[in-house]
Amino acid sequence: MPFNLIVPIASYKSEYLHSLPAVFIKGEDGLMPCIKAVLSLDFTLFDHIFFTILRIMEEKHHLCALLKEQFHEIGLAKAEIIILDNPTLSQPETIYQTILQANIKGSIFIKDADCSFCGEILPQNGVVIYPLESLKWVNPQNKSYVAVDDHFYVTNIIEKKIISHYFLAGGYCFEDLDLYCRYYQRFAGQKGLYLSHIIYSMLLDKYSFRPILATEYTDFETLVQL
Amino acid sequence: MELIVKGHSGYQIDIVREGNDLYVYKRCSDADKATRLMRQAAKQEQATTHRHTGFQTPHILAAEQNGDNASIKMEYIYSRNFMEYFESAGFEQIDYFIHTLIRYIEEELALSPLQTIDTRIVTDKFSSVEKTVNTNPHIRKDERLANIMEKSKRLLTGINEWKMPIGICHGDLTFSNILFTANTYYLIDFLDSFIESPLLDIVKLRQDSAHIWSAKLYTKPYDPIRLGIICQKIDSELDTYFQRYDWYKGYYRPLQVLNLLRVLQYAKEDAIIDDLETEISKLLYAI
Repeated sequence: MPFNLIVPIASYKSEYLHSLPAVFIKGEDGLMPCIKAVLSLDFTLFDHIFFTILRIMEEKHHLCALLKEQFHEIGLAKAEIIILDNPTLSQPETIYQTILQANIKGSIFIKDADCSFCGEILPQNGVVIYPLESLKWVNPQNKSYVAVDDHFYVTNIIEKKIISHYFLAGGYCFEDLDLYCRYYQRFAGQKGLYLSHIIYSMLLDKYSFRPILATEYTDFETLVQL
Repeated sequence: MELIVKGHSGYQIDIVREGNDLYVYKRCSDADKATRLMRQAAKQEQATTHRHTGFQTPHILAAEQNGDNASIKMEYIYSRNFMEYFESAGFEQIDYFIHTLIRYIEEELALSPLQTIDTRIVTDKFSSVEKTVNTNPHIRKDERLANIMEKSKRLLTGINEWKMPIGICHGDLTFSNILFTANTYYLIDFLDSFIESPLLDIVKLRQDSAHIWSAKLYTKPYDPIRLGIICQKIDSELDTYFQRYDWYKGYYRPLQVLNLLRVLQYAKEDAIIDDLETEISKLLYAI
């Protein structure tokens, strides 16, 4: 069964027409945060690695050339760029459109572009978590939280509401893409939809999700603010 | 110490500390409401004598009526409302809640033998609702409403026999009348129902799970997508479970139409009226 990595970087704000989004601005080491976000992952796990961007951003900032240069620098031969013609309403829609456009099959791991972590990733339903108390600096408002039971099964996942000391550390795994697409279609067109909604809906229907406990978590946004 | 709580039912609700304990006082000064409050108190206290798995009822400690004025005193339950509970409940808590609701209805069914009721109970209720809808100045008397009333009338008068479990019911079993504690659920605000049937409790539950009614009265911010996910789950489980009963298959939809019309008859806000008419239309066209 193919296992693919998707990095959605297709959010749109009007200011992005004039300035490059932070995840594309190179650091002192010459790397973009969206590239650093995947560096700690084991690339041998994945058949393909997809970075999803918006056409309008490509036209304004030539992101494809910038990203390909970065892929070359780090030797990321499996990486492909998927360009969406139009902004989406939500991250789940970006994932869905990427799946359709690239005709992706099998399982997917979705990696947010604004953080990095180490963890043992498997092609099974799961979410990457990190304990809140392990962070020195944290903005609890911009995080989602995950409750797990005694045997390490996810029992709850929720946006911006502290129900647990584990927060969602920017990684989500869906074992069956067709199932993901079916659940997404239930909510298609809704604003304010998060992957956590799709996962919670699957949990209610008795699909199990395992937590992947991250190590060495870094939130790029917090680093910028500090 | 006295805390006034704003309710939707037109009653004044005060939470009062007496010694180390808190009590809820529910008061009104209107003849109709006073009579209803006394009946509600009697029904709620009666419910405390039925042993239900998973549900409890706060005790009524005092109830008195003096002309148009009435007040009841009941025990205070430290609890959360449905929205706060759903906003933080794991899937296993929602699952438990659904099964407890089903058990509750089953326990009511055990005390409610199948009986045929006089068809006039339903048709008279519809006539009374129709009259009130027609005199409600907030409801536009347009073609849409005319269609709704016509189709509803045909539906409700077209049923020749109403045979359903008759015995006990809560009477207003919406999510907003359930208090959620860490250990159990409490039922409040019992009401006399025009048909004392557990089917009417299913109708009220699905008023919330299928038509998201109580959320429309909720004034604090909440995540509508999460609520929708939970309500859809509750609704599909309830509907699937009760499909095993002929009386459910035969009368749920007509009685839900009548139930939503009963809500519509007193509606004042345009958005609520529009929403109710949409939901009733969906039910009518699904039949």
